[in-house]
Amino acid sequence: MVDPRIYEMFRDIGRDLFVSNLISSHGGNLSIRLGDRVIIKRRGAMLGNLKPHDLIETGLEKNDSGVALASTELLVHRTIYMNTPALAICHCHPRTAIAFSLSRDELVPIDNEASYLLKRVPVITEEFASGTPQMAHKVAEALKNYKIIMLRGHGSFAIGQTLDEAFHWSSTLEESCQIELAVKLINEPFIEYRKMSEAYNKF
Amino acid sequence: MNGWNGKILEIDLNTLTHKTYPLDMDMARQFIGGRGLGARLLWDLVGPEVDPLSPQNVLIFTNGPLTGTGYQTSNRFSVTTKSPLTGTVLDANSGGFWGMQFKKTGYDALIVRGRAEKPTWIEIKNGKVTFHDASDLWGMRVFEVTRRLGQDNNKRNVLCIGPAGENLSRIAAIMNDRERALARGGPGAVMGSKNLKAIVVEGTERPEVVDKDRFKFMLYETRKLLAASPLTSQALPEFGTVVMMNIVNTVGALPTRNHQQTQFEGAEAISGETLTEKYLVRNASCWACPIGCTRISKTDKVEGEGPEFETTWAFGAQCGIDDLAAIIEANSLCNDLGLDTISAGSTIACAMELSEKGYLDSDLRFGRADLLARCVEDMAYRRDLGDDLAEGSLRLATKYGHPELSMSVKGLEMPAYDPRGMQGQGLLYATSNRGGCHMRGNMLGLEVLGLPKLIDRFQVQGKSSFVILHQNSSAAIDSLVVCKFTNLGVADEYFARVLSAVTGIPYATGDMIKAGERIWNLERLYNLREGFRREHDTLPPRLLTEAPTDGPSKGWVSHLEPMLKEYYRTRGWDENGVPTPKKLEELGLAQFVEQVNRETTKP
Repeated sequence: MVDPRIYEMFRDIGRDLFVSNLISSHGGNLSIRLGDRVIIKRRGAMLGNLKPHDLIETGLEKNDSGVALASTELLVHRTIYMNTPALAICHCHPRTAIAFSLSRDELVPIDNEASYLLKRVPVITEEFASGTPQMAHKVAEALKNYKIIMLRGHGSFAIGQTLDEAFHWSSTLEESCQIELAVKLINEPFIEYRKMSEAYNKF
Repeated sequence: MNGWNGKILEIDLNTLTHKTYPLDMDMARQFIGGRGLGARLLWDLVGPEVDPLSPQNVLIFTNGPLTGTGYQTSNRFSVTTKSPLTGTVLDANSGGFWGMQFKKTGYDALIVRGRAEKPTWIEIKNGKVTFHDASDLWGMRVFEVTRRLGQDNNKRNVLCIGPAGENLSRIAAIMNDRERALARGGPGAVMGSKNLKAIVVEGTERPEVVDKDRFKFMLYETRKLLAASPLTSQALPEFGTVVMMNIVNTVGALPTRNHQQTQFEGAEAISGETLTEKYLVRNASCWACPIGCTRISKTDKVEGEGPEFETTWAFGAQCGIDDLAAIIEANSLCNDLGLDTISAGSTIACAMELSEKGYLDSDLRFGRADLLARCVEDMAYRRDLGDDLAEGSLRLATKYGHPELSMSVKGLEMPAYDPRGMQGQGLLYATSNRGGCHMRGNMLGLEVLGLPKLIDRFQVQGKSSFVILHQNSSAAIDSLVVCKFTNLGVADEYFARVLSAVTGIPYATGDMIKAGERIWNLERLYNLREGFRREHDTLPPRLLTEAPTDGPSKGWVSHLEPMLKEYYRTRGWDENGVPTPKKLEELGLAQFVEQVNRETTKP
């Protein structure tokens, strides 16, 4: 039985992801690592409208009956947990960030908040859809060194010690991309205000 | 060399000789430096047959690849030995200037073996080692020794023991730069047992940095982050570490009167605010530190560094004392005599409870501030009851028939956070490799301060994951070596990038944390080899059975057992807390498997 406090955390952040336009009705995913167990959204459940029975607990390495109900992205979440210090994962579909990922190999923020928090977000390419071992390993490898990465044309994966930390990186990325889009629309010369910003793309 | 000097200096006090040999660079990459390198070297040098106070024990002083580079707080260093207090692997870590200067002598580690025939001090100057007669310094207190041997913060730095170390108090510290301490677990007694009074370092070899541009960028970013965090830019500089007093008391996690309560009615009187208002002379900093949490405080009797939060708590709330001047004076005495303030305060608190309950015939009582100074002096010189106090609280309480009144884990007195109000902290203490310790992955950030985000401090399910992550991270930070306060504003990912820039070896954040996990597991193997077992991963019975009757932690005991089971599984250990061969393979520790299996299957 999942602790009610854990359910409330999933419910609140899932709802926030939906109302922030970071996911569609059934998109995205959240999970946390509890020791050698993983709690993840049920397959097909709506993050914006989670019920207690929508949280599935299963083993980090070992399968049990929980895997029959878990999200199709369980594999990538498990692989991330086994290869990084992550204790929570937020996967979402930030629209502006996805749009930029279609033409860039990295997202280097120009706004102050994301420059401060993220510095650089690598974009990785994987031909196959969610749930494949290839994708899982690529994402996990990138997250060894970054707290958020973009899967080109798909969405972001962010890690943290808690769900709200992973959510923090996700919403910061999308906000940053929206600002950059607005800057492009304004189309006026950029005034650099950050010292040593030329080093961000080496972060 | 890049980050590392590539050399180890080994001194044999039996023969007053020394030799230099190369640092094994594979070992350095795996265990980084500082605490990790110390643990790895200790494994080979000191086995279970060695008495901690015998000449066969060693003192291993280590710096890390970041030490002395100028990265923020890169002043720190470690000493590793087998603890005479706990019998476990011991690493103690200190700031100030000595670590930076030691790095500049051109060595990554200094191993001290044997026992000198007569009191000796060692001078290491630009790689040259000189042995000096210390007969005239023996018996002298720390401040005077430090002055006599020519302490000059940026040029020449003195590390020494006081009378407590000479008299083999099991809670004796090694002091450096006058008032900095390698405090916990009794390393001062090991140094005293070797007839070694002091080590003075003077060097000119500035460590190299491979990627200077990247390093410069990380310096700039770190400065920004530390300036932006209210903790590192305001709270610690303005109030020192004692800023935690009111915070921890408010949440009902401040152990009081030997952990009989979890809130202290006199907390305000011994808080950071009161210290700043009434006793602060000025702030001070360790080398390359922009935070400046050091207090120089003054009473009618003393002026000097401190007291830190843990010290103020140990002589304050833990002893039921709200006389801040008396606490400052006890702190200063401990520094001058060379004693660990946490263990000293908590051992006195234990004696107070033993006395109040009639198990010990003494005039000690909770609140008796007038007895603090005498107790500390007696402890250092082993006079009267001080002879028992010098052994630490567990031996004291055991002698008087009530070991359960020692608020320690594996014999090391716990610091100022009560596990009944911070469930994760209890698991941390119970599993800490050097015993009850808050510097092995403090849960204060997550459970109280909200760093990086606040978690439920009473939650039990899932706590092991947080504890393990912070234990691994702290092992890595202790091996770099930098101050953990930097980590209050700067995330682990920054440290990994700085380590990469300095050494030229690409360390991902995950790699650095993995190195921390490797170090933690090796320390665990060391303790298993010493005979520690699952039953030693526990807390004093009071914390498991006696719930506070009021305050924010009312009704809570530590729910250790379910957390511990989860912890072992999450660590990849078996149900007895022994790392599995699979885990050791994963960490590159496979060569230790056979020996551990042999030792842990002994009856």
